Amino acid sequence: MLLKVENLTKRFGGLIAVSDVSFAINKGEIVGIFGPNGSGKTTLLSLLAGLLPPSAGRVFWKGRDIAGARPDVIAALGVIKTFQNPQLFSELSVLEHVMIASFLAFTRMKGHGRLRSFLSPGKGEAILRARAEKALTLCRLQDSSSKPAAELSYGEEKMLGVAMAMMCEPELLLLDEPASGLGNDEVHNLESVLRDLRTHGTTLCIIDHKVAFLARFADQAIALQQGCKIAEGLPHDVLADPGVVKAYLGRSHHA
Amino acid sequence: MKTLLFLVPLYLLPLVVRSDVVLTILIFTFVLSILAIGFNVVFGGAGQLTMFHAAAFGIGSYVTFLSMLRFGISFWLGYLVAVLIVVLISILIGWICFKFRLKEFYFAVVTLAFAELCRLVAMNWTSVTNGTLGMLVLEKPTVWLPGSGVVRIEQTVPWYFLTLVCLTGVLIFSVLLMRSWIGRNFSAIRLNEDLAQTLGIDTFRYKLLAFTISNVIASFAGALYGFYTGYIEPAYLAVTQALDAIAMVLLGGVSTILGPVVGALVLTSLPHLIELPAEIRVAVYGMILILVILLMPRGIVGLAAGLSRGRVNAA
Repeated sequence: MLLKVENLTKRFGGLIAVSDVSFAINKGEIVGIFGPNGSGKTTLLSLLAGLLPPSAGRVFWKGRDIAGARPDVIAALGVIKTFQNPQLFSELSVLEHVMIASFLAFTRMKGHGRLRSFLSPGKGEAILRARAEKALTLCRLQDSSSKPAAELSYGEEKMLGVAMAMMCEPELLLLDEPASGLGNDEVHNLESVLRDLRTHGTTLCIIDHKVAFLARFADQAIALQQGCKIAEGLPHDVLADPGVVKAYLGRSHHA
Repeated sequence: MKTLLFLVPLYLLPLVVRSDVVLTILIFTFVLSILAIGFNVVFGGAGQLTMFHAAAFGIGSYVTFLSMLRFGISFWLGYLVAVLIVVLISILIGWICFKFRLKEFYFAVVTLAFAELCRLVAMNWTSVTNGTLGMLVLEKPTVWLPGSGVVRIEQTVPWYFLTLVCLTGVLIFSVLLMRSWIGRNFSAIRLNEDLAQTLGIDTFRYKLLAFTISNVIASFAGALYGFYTGYIEPAYLAVTQALDAIAMVLLGGVSTILGPVVGALVLTSLPHLIELPAEIRVAVYGMILILVILLMPRGIVGLAAGLSRGRVNAA
């Protein structure tokens, strides 16, 4: 088991955004978390990535409690999150974006030999560049690598976010609504990228409100409503769950 | 590294130019360039608007001189003591500012307050610093040269070479720094700190590192400046000194290697080139600064890079 979440809760004043949520993610899985807008999906992901401190509950990463740890510490342990609205380093080119995300890969490669590379960056730099190009190819951005990132389309910007995350060599990738705002072609593209990521050995946790999109390839699904977990299991079963149907359609099937 | 080849003609210059005025202006340029490079590391590198660099500059000159007097050590060992103190002060101030997540204007105001505090100490700790009167520095740095042994740096030409060698060293260091993973992490913090942190960069540690390195470089400029002018006073730590260095970086080009040097050269030589009555000269000088910053937001180096890139694209 990679990640185990126990009774995770987040309160903002009187509002309970995430309420007593527990679940687990196994290695190699694709876990889809879905729920209507405002159901606490993004908050849940931010808690896992350390962007917000939880009000209660625990998060175990390979048995180690990481609840409340800083984002960079969690990232260094192998959990990387992408953003719903693409976050970029504006003035850089696409390849430079991925290279600037190479710090974790670099420290793993060099360890304490980092200081030597201060004087002669050459060799390590070539390896990192090759990895960056691989990450771009994985995200179908290889043809745009020398473009300024500001010229990318919205969908490409999101893929660049995934490429930067992949440069960090994550074991668990948390994707915050990767399909939102994408056209049909881009969604198909995204799906094939996500399948490649799984083949690549990366465990994925994806949140989205597009149920159909998640159901197509998730191994496990979790449904949230108003911060509470209302169903969990195989995507097909979760979608058929009366509580989920009610949350989505506002009424029960049989009503 | 190729950009540093511009230094080569500077090494040959004293063979051609014998004018003490020109060499003196260049000595001031070299020393103030080092201060501006220090500011550029933390501002142009990691995007943190510090106002502490002039204080570090002043502390560099005071501590180097005072430790020479007290412990009877050489200029270089005295400067090592200054480095130690500047590192400790930087870690303390940086720790406070970055733990409280102070950014941009707030960071500037708090570092300015600390800088003023240091200036007040220099001004009021009369028994040690001689207060507002300042201190005369009769000691000189010494260097060991093959063939001639230990040499005191007194005349203009030796000072020219000493400060040029120091500038070269600082420039090489800053190029290596900005091209290393450290410089890359600085840029990530400058461009998008939240994203940098989710990509595994310990932003607190790297901001602290940028602030400390920047102050150590600035203190080196201060040590050289005090010993070259032969006089140390609390005004070295003043906000005007800090603003001068900021003007140099903005004018030359933020986040560029050569920007601080170009800016220092222009702002050091300009007052000597404008032969007008003092009051008008200051006004003209101010006008030039305002115009240049308005018309060239990326500085002289940024403009030159843009022009040469434009030419390449047109060709």
